[in-house]
Amino acid sequence: MTTNLHVEQPSSSAAVPVLNRRMAMALLGATVLVGGLAGVIRLLVGMGSTTALTDAYTWGIWIAFDFTLIAFAGAGFTMAGLVHVLHREQYHDAVRPAILAGLAGYVSVLLLLVLDLGRPDRFYNFILFWNVHSPLFEISLCVLLYTTVLVLEVAPFLLERLHLPVTDRLLRLLRGAMPVIAVVGVTLSSLHQSTLGTLYLNMPHRLHPLWYTPILPLLFFVSSIIAGLSLATLTYMGSTRILGLPAKREIVTGLPRIAAWVGVFYLALKLGDLLVSGEMALLWSAGAYSFWWWLEVGVGLMIPIALLLIPSLRHRPWVPVAAPLLLLFGVMMNRFNATMFGQILPPGVTYSPSLIEWLSTIGIIGAGVMAWLLGVRFLAIFDGKGSQHV
Amino acid sequence: MTSQQALSRREFLKAAGTGAAAVTATCVLAGPASSALASGPVSDSGWGMLIDVTRCTGCDSCALACKEANGRPNPTVVPSALSSDAYTFIDVRPNAGSAEPLAVKRQCMHCQHPACVSACTVGALTKSADGPVVYDSKKCIGCRYCQYACPFGVPTYDWDNPLGLIHKCQLCVERLAEGEMPACVSSCPAGALRFGRRSDLLVQAHARISSNPDRYVDQVYGEFEAGGTSVLYLAGVPFSQLGLPELGDQTISHYAEAVMKKTPVVAASVAALATGLYWLTKRRDLHLSEARVTLPQEDRHDH
Repeated sequence: MTTNLHVEQPSSSAAVPVLNRRMAMALLGATVLVGGLAGVIRLLVGMGSTTALTDAYTWGIWIAFDFTLIAFAGAGFTMAGLVHVLHREQYHDAVRPAILAGLAGYVSVLLLLVLDLGRPDRFYNFILFWNVHSPLFEISLCVLLYTTVLVLEVAPFLLERLHLPVTDRLLRLLRGAMPVIAVVGVTLSSLHQSTLGTLYLNMPHRLHPLWYTPILPLLFFVSSIIAGLSLATLTYMGSTRILGLPAKREIVTGLPRIAAWVGVFYLALKLGDLLVSGEMALLWSAGAYSFWWWLEVGVGLMIPIALLLIPSLRHRPWVPVAAPLLLLFGVMMNRFNATMFGQILPPGVTYSPSLIEWLSTIGIIGAGVMAWLLGVRFLAIFDGKGSQHV
Repeated sequence: MTSQQALSRREFLKAAGTGAAAVTATCVLAGPASSALASGPVSDSGWGMLIDVTRCTGCDSCALACKEANGRPNPTVVPSALSSDAYTFIDVRPNAGSAEPLAVKRQCMHCQHPACVSACTVGALTKSADGPVVYDSKKCIGCRYCQYACPFGVPTYDWDNPLGLIHKCQLCVERLAEGEMPACVSSCPAGALRFGRRSDLLVQAHARISSNPDRYVDQVYGEFEAGGTSVLYLAGVPFSQLGLPELGDQTISHYAEAVMKKTPVVAASVAALATGLYWLTKRRDLHLSEARVTLPQEDRHDH
C-alpha cells in the first residue's frame, strides 16, 4: 500500500507526509521499548529516585496523562452511544475506529496507573476492599468493568476476520447482546467520566477556584463527550486514510459540529459557574492561573467552536482536522490544570517531571497508538454495513 | 401483520432485557452506597489532644519519643518535617512580637470527618469510634489520594521503598489499647500536651482562655475547622502565623460525599434513559422502514 501514515498528526493531511509507515512503526516501537525499560526501572527501584514526585506534589504527569487519556478514550462510549443507542446511523462508519481507540486508550490508562501506584503488586485490592465514598474507588471499578465492555465491543472486529464455526457462533452471541453491552458501556462511562470530576471535590484547599466548583462532575462528563467526538473524527479520518478509503463528508464535518455545540454548552457552564460564584475577576487577576485557564478555554474551546460554527470559516478544508485537535488540546489542558497547573501549592514546592516519567509516559501512549494502528490494518474496522463510501 | 407484531414484541423484550441488565449491573456496582457516611457517626467523647503552643518550649522530646514508639529509623535525629520516618515534629517559626520563635507541634489532626478516610480508594484509612484515624497498611495500594485530600498535608509516602506505603500518626492506638497515653504526650516535660476526651479538652481549653485572656487568642483551633478535629490548638498569636490552614467549618469531603451518594440514582437513570432512547430511536427506524420488516435480523439491527 502506498497510503501514508499520519495518524498522529492528521493536520499534515494536506501537506507532504513526513513519515512512511515503516518509519512510523519503527519510531513507535522504539518509544515502547525505551518506555518499557523506564517503567521496569521505576518498578524495581521505587519512585523516590526515579520520579520528581514528593509528598506535597504527589500526582504528576502520569496521573495528568491518565485522566487525559480517559477523556480521549471517551470516543468509545460517545460513538457507541450515538450509533448503537441513539441509532444515528449516518455515523456508523466512525464507530469501530473510535471503539478501538477507546480500548487502546483504556489499556494505556491501566498501564500508567500501575506505574503510579505505590503498591503496584496490590493493584487488585480495590476489588477486595470497597470504599463506596471514594471517587477513586468508583473510577477504578468502572474503568475495570468498562475495559471489559470494550473488549466485548472490539471482539467482533477480530471474530469477523476468522470465519470459523466457533467464532461465528460467538459472533452471533455478541451481536445479540450488543444493545445490552452498549447501554452498560454508556452507563459505566457516564459514571466514571463524571466521577473523575468528583475526585477533585475532595481538594477544595488545593484546587484554584478557577477550576474548583461543585459542578466539576458535570464539567468532566460533558468535556469527555467533546474529547470523544473529536478523537472519533480523527480516528475515522486516520483509518480511512490508512486503508485508502474515501472519508465521508457527512461524518468528517458532522461529528465536529456536534462537538462544537456540546462545546458551547460546556463553555456556558464554565462561564456561568464563574459568574454565579462571583469569581469572574480571576480570569484576569490570578496570574499564572489566569494564563492556564485562557490556554485551556481560549485556545482549546473558544477558537475551535468559532472555527466550527462561523459559516465563513467552517468550510475551510483544514477545519475538520484542526478544530478537533484544538478541542482535544483544550480537554487535555483541563485535566492538566486540575491535576497540576491549577493546584495551589505549599510555598517552595515545585515539580519538574523526571526523564523516567516522560519516557514511560511516551512509551505507554506509543504502545496505545501502535496497537490502534495495527488494529486498523488487521481487524475488520469497517464492517461494510454503513459503507457505501461516497 | 403477524410478523410485524412478533417483531415489535421481540424488540420490546430485547429493550426490556437491556434495561434490566443495565440496571442490575449498575445497582450491583452502586449497591452498598446507601450505607453510612464514610466517617460514621462521630461523638465528642473520642480521644483527643490539646496542644498549648504558649507552653511549648520546642525541646523536641515529643518528636523523638514518637520515632521511638513507632519504630522509626534514627530515633535520636530531630526531624524537621513530617515524613515516613517522623509522624510528628516541632515546626519552628518566627514570632512577630517576640525574639522567642514559635514552636508548633504538627501531626495528624485526627479529624472528626476525615477527608482522607472519605477519599481512600480501598478504605485503608478509618475513623475509629474512639477518636484516632487509623491506617490499615495491608489494604493500601499507594494511590496517594489521601495526601491531596488532607488539608493539613499529613499523610506521607515512603518514596525510597519500591513497595512504599503511607505513613502518619495513629494517636498511638496500640498504647491506648494498653491504657497508656500517646508517646508524645507522655514525653512532654513542659505540660504543653494534654490527652483526654475531646469534649473535656474543649472545656479545659476554653477555661484556660477565660482565666488568662491576655495569654491566648480567643479561639480553639480544631473546634470547628473542617468539621472539627480531635487534635486542638491553643495559641497566643493568630493561628495563620502557626502555619495552620484557614479552613471553614464545612467538612472537606462534603461535596464529594454528596455526589458519591447519588451514584446509584445516576447509574439507574442513565441506564434507564439510554434504554428508553435505544427503544424510541429504534422504533422510529422501524416505522421509517416498515416495508423492510422482513429483513434478516442483523441488517435490521445494524442498518
